[in-house]
Amino acid sequence: MYYFDELIVSEIRKNNRIVLQELYKAHYPMVLHLICSNSGTEQEAKDIYQEAVIAFYEKVQQPDFVLHCKVKTFLYAVSRRLWLKRLWEKKRYRGQIEEGELLAGIDEEMIDIEAKEQIFYKMAASLDELGDPCKSLLEAFYLQESSMESIRDTFGYSNTDTAKNQKYKCLQRLKKLFFTLHNPPSHES
Amino acid sequence: MNPDRALIDLLDRYAKNTLPPDEKAALEERMEGDPVLSQQVQEHLNLIESMRFYGGRRDLKASLNEIHDTMTTFAQHEQRPPVMTVTRTNLWRKYWPMTAVAASVALISILGTLQMTQSLETKQTAYYKELRRNVEQIRKSQSRIMADIAESKEKTGPAPETYAGTGFMISANGYVATSYHVIKDADSVYIENEAFGRLKVDILFSDKENDISILKIAPELLTPVKSLPYTVSPSEANLGEEVFTLGFPREDIVFGEGSVSAATGYKQNPNAYQVSVPVNPGNSGGPLFNAKGELVGIISGLQTETSGAAFATKSTILLHAITDMPIDTVNVPLALPRINTLKNLGKVQQVKKWREYVFMVRVYNAPK
Repeated sequence: MYYFDELIVSEIRKNNRIVLQELYKAHYPMVLHLICSNSGTEQEAKDIYQEAVIAFYEKVQQPDFVLHCKVKTFLYAVSRRLWLKRLWEKKRYRGQIEEGELLAGIDEEMIDIEAKEQIFYKMAASLDELGDPCKSLLEAFYLQESSMESIRDTFGYSNTDTAKNQKYKCLQRLKKLFFTLHNPPSHES
Repeated sequence: MNPDRALIDLLDRYAKNTLPPDEKAALEERMEGDPVLSQQVQEHLNLIESMRFYGGRRDLKASLNEIHDTMTTFAQHEQRPPVMTVTRTNLWRKYWPMTAVAASVALISILGTLQMTQSLETKQTAYYKELRRNVEQIRKSQSRIMADIAESKEKTGPAPETYAGTGFMISANGYVATSYHVIKDADSVYIENEAFGRLKVDILFSDKENDISILKIAPELLTPVKSLPYTVSPSEANLGEEVFTLGFPREDIVFGEGSVSAATGYKQNPNAYQVSVPVNPGNSGGPLFNAKGELVGIISGLQTETSGAAFATKSTILLHAITDMPIDTVNVPLALPRINTLKNLGKVQQVKKWREYVFMVRVYNAPK
């Protein structure tokens, strides 16, 4: 149905950076106009748009993803809802913002986006609270998936056992922080 | 309870999916039989998943920022006009002419209103009207009608008075009560009725706040009064009680009746009643008495723009004024009447007795 959009989706699933870049450039003016004509700034437009693109990107990565609408429609609807929420928080919400094309299931989408946003900020806050070297150690092990040997060399531990022990302690602390943090500060960027 | 190190290592490998199939199966079997372990595994997976999610999104954000930056630099290189011109107009700069106009209009309205009303203060007299009769004014307005009569009339007798009101006797030995506003600024005051004729009085005491004045008949009375037939009520009248008044809104005595409408006067003044007695200029200072013939108040004024709202100072206030009076009355004691002989009489008989002791108060002012 949306041949061109299907193509974009399949390329993005393959982590094609060029396609992502072109997609980003193609729809930015639309969102910039949306935000700026509704009492927002360029910086706010950038934040909102990036949030929408990230939501789209992550959605596409899900194995069971099926495209139901044009990418443009999705980005506009999500940006609009995000901006309405931001305006509401700033207590400056006046009247309606033009809805554009209707997107079915936008409410569930927004709940999902918000939940992910919370996890992101919660994890960011937990890692910041944890501080170095624990943060770098955990990132090296779990995100970059470095081996214990290279971690031992980078962090200057005497042997892998010390490194493992250190990693274990850091993980326990992170776990405690992450599961006890309930109110992540939103939109500090 | 936290899982130990060995378990974490196992779980790490489980999360990375690097566990050999038999070990994986063994772990899953253990999880099924052990809910505590199962929860620990869930927590661990959740944490790792969140961390990976965080890492992925962080990297994505960074690359999007990079893209964004190339986009702006690209736009700058091309020197083409921005797709969207974002102008945040300064609100003050945008609206100052409108604000100025609005402020001017407001200023002009205020000044105009002041100009028309001449004053900032609202005058109370616009609402509360004192009821002394301005005789001169009435005479002028009636001069044309009276022209014929005046020609045929002898122009003798005392000079005409300036104001007129009503007063009544409160003591057999010559004390008379009236409203303060009737006799204020007076040069000389005379009282007059059918029974006593015309008598000069001295102003003995005035209570401006409660609008009460006590007068003393100056000459010796030709026919001394033995005792007054009525008393001054020491208690407040009840709401709805029937009340009567006698007064001189014109040259003849006029009777009026009504009832007590409110236990407070103008602007909730607790020292007065509101009564539904028809009153007119000249009624001021007149007695207000109840069905037993007791004095319950002194007519003082009315509220304009409200029909049937007259005010009367309470008799209790009169009693207070008399007791607190700083005037020496030793020689001729101000003895208030003690026995009410009107109690069982009909209304007509009561009025007949009362009217003997009600006077027209004539106030003379030197022409200014």
